[in-house]
Amino acid sequence: MRRFFMILKLDIINLFKNPVLVGANTIFFVLLILIMGFLGSGNYADSKMSYQYYLISMIVYGMLNGAMTASNCFMERDIKKANLRIIYSPAGSFPIYFSKILASFLFDYFLHIIVVGILCASLGVTIGVHPVYFILLMAPVEFAAAALGIFFCCVFHSEEAASALLSTLVSLLCVLGGTFFSLDGMGSAVAFLSRISPVKWINEAFFTLSCDNSLHSFLLVFLSAVIISVLLVLGCSLTFKTEDYL
Amino acid sequence: MAINMEEMIKVSNLTKSFKDKEVLKGISFDVYRGEVLCILGPNGAGKSTTINILTATLGKGGGEIFFKGGRINKKLKDYKQVLGIVPQDIALYEELSAEHNLRFFASLYGLHGKELSKAVDGALEFAGLTDRRNDKVKTFSGGMKRRLNIACAIAHHPELVIMDEPTVGIDPQSRNHILDSIRRLRENGITVIYTTHYMEEVEAISSRIIIMDHGSIIAEGTKEELKESIGNEKRYTIELEENKKVKEEELFSIEGVKSVKVNGDILEISSLKGIENLDRIIALLSDRGEKIRNIASEAASLEMVFLKLTGRKLRD
Repeated sequence: MRRFFMILKLDIINLFKNPVLVGANTIFFVLLILIMGFLGSGNYADSKMSYQYYLISMIVYGMLNGAMTASNCFMERDIKKANLRIIYSPAGSFPIYFSKILASFLFDYFLHIIVVGILCASLGVTIGVHPVYFILLMAPVEFAAAALGIFFCCVFHSEEAASALLSTLVSLLCVLGGTFFSLDGMGSAVAFLSRISPVKWINEAFFTLSCDNSLHSFLLVFLSAVIISVLLVLGCSLTFKTEDYL
Repeated sequence: MAINMEEMIKVSNLTKSFKDKEVLKGISFDVYRGEVLCILGPNGAGKSTTINILTATLGKGGGEIFFKGGRINKKLKDYKQVLGIVPQDIALYEELSAEHNLRFFASLYGLHGKELSKAVDGALEFAGLTDRRNDKVKTFSGGMKRRLNIACAIAHHPELVIMDEPTVGIDPQSRNHILDSIRRLRENGITVIYTTHYMEEVEAISSRIIIMDHGSIIAEGTKEELKESIGNEKRYTIELEENKKVKEEELFSIEGVKSVKVNGDILEISSLKGIENLDRIIALLSDRGEKIRNIASEAASLEMVFLKLTGRKLRD
């Protein structure tokens, strides 16, 4: 256990020392939310509603993009070489990938909460009367995204391949889930695809929490994300091979 | 420190294939406590595959590896605990300081508190980096990174250190530092397995040598034994101004000459050691009107051993 926490601590330090990842999870999303909110303000009764809509939808997009943070932390070229020494040590293989999942989750979760906090305060928008539930619901979604990133690395054996596929998958699911714009008026086929996109469900859970102050979808999304996380961690344990690090 | 013949590692009939390509063809060898075993061979010989299997990072195809008499997969944690590994690439966190890297890697082997601090201090001194301990690795030169790469492998006081071509791409000063540090490890009774394709490094540090080629061990022994194995030969390389009419047969008529290779203006002559025939070779060349630009003589070397065994030079 001591070894695991040593590895976890170092993984977190390495993530915070990576300016690209810190920027991508903070400044990038702040700018994205501000630009999208500003551009979409004409479609809402007041600009605050626009900013609120894009704060929530872009944070969901950011949480899912956490998969790329995890794949970077696990198999990025330079980090990977140093991580090889963990494989050489008596630490065992479980701490190697699980610490990366946990570190990426904590890193993304922490930064995204800060982004939400800063934007709520500065733009005067709200995430509903249940902010604790909102923050709580972010946790399993962030964790599942991190586990997905590591799982893709285990399956495809390379960060480049995993990140390229994840980026495409996340963007596609987010478009289908109506993260960037509503797909309601695009015909029945698109509406059907949108309904089966898991991102649609995640978006709805966060929107009902913050706009309707309802816990209606909270438990369903929370438990689904936990179950998916467990399955992905199991998938990692089945597919992780130390030789992928060579 | 003298080598005792206590067997530390026994590799038996080790095989490995990648898809259809057989990269290790049933190799067997032993590693004894306190020795520096050099694995010598050209690129693609199977050295790194052997090392990756020995470090339990890569699965083997067939065969067995025993550590102190037991199969390594049966006591993998114990085996890894006494193992120090220097990989071919620099395996360091560039954004962290030298000390932070050492602290982290040594702590993975269970060191903590004062014991950890002492181990880190010792490793920094070993690498000659005490005065740069707080500097980030990314500010280090290639040679300094290589030294720290080794220090990270020995900080936890391993019994066996495995080094996979640790001197690739570094300056002569850092190379000498690394070779000196290997001698110091040996003096402290630490067993070292060292792969390289540099003959001069093998000459400088080895207790015993394994020569690999195409996934097989083609020779094994001390450097003296290997040189003996190719016979009592020395080689002359004679460079002529312009080779006019020297024929190989004429040179063969001189006592002791065993082989002659005419390569343009360069003659490569192997001769039996102990027979002083260089003056006769020079006289014959003078008789034929040849002007000699340069003569080099070389006693039996590991390069010659490799050439004799494989028919090509190590770096071909």
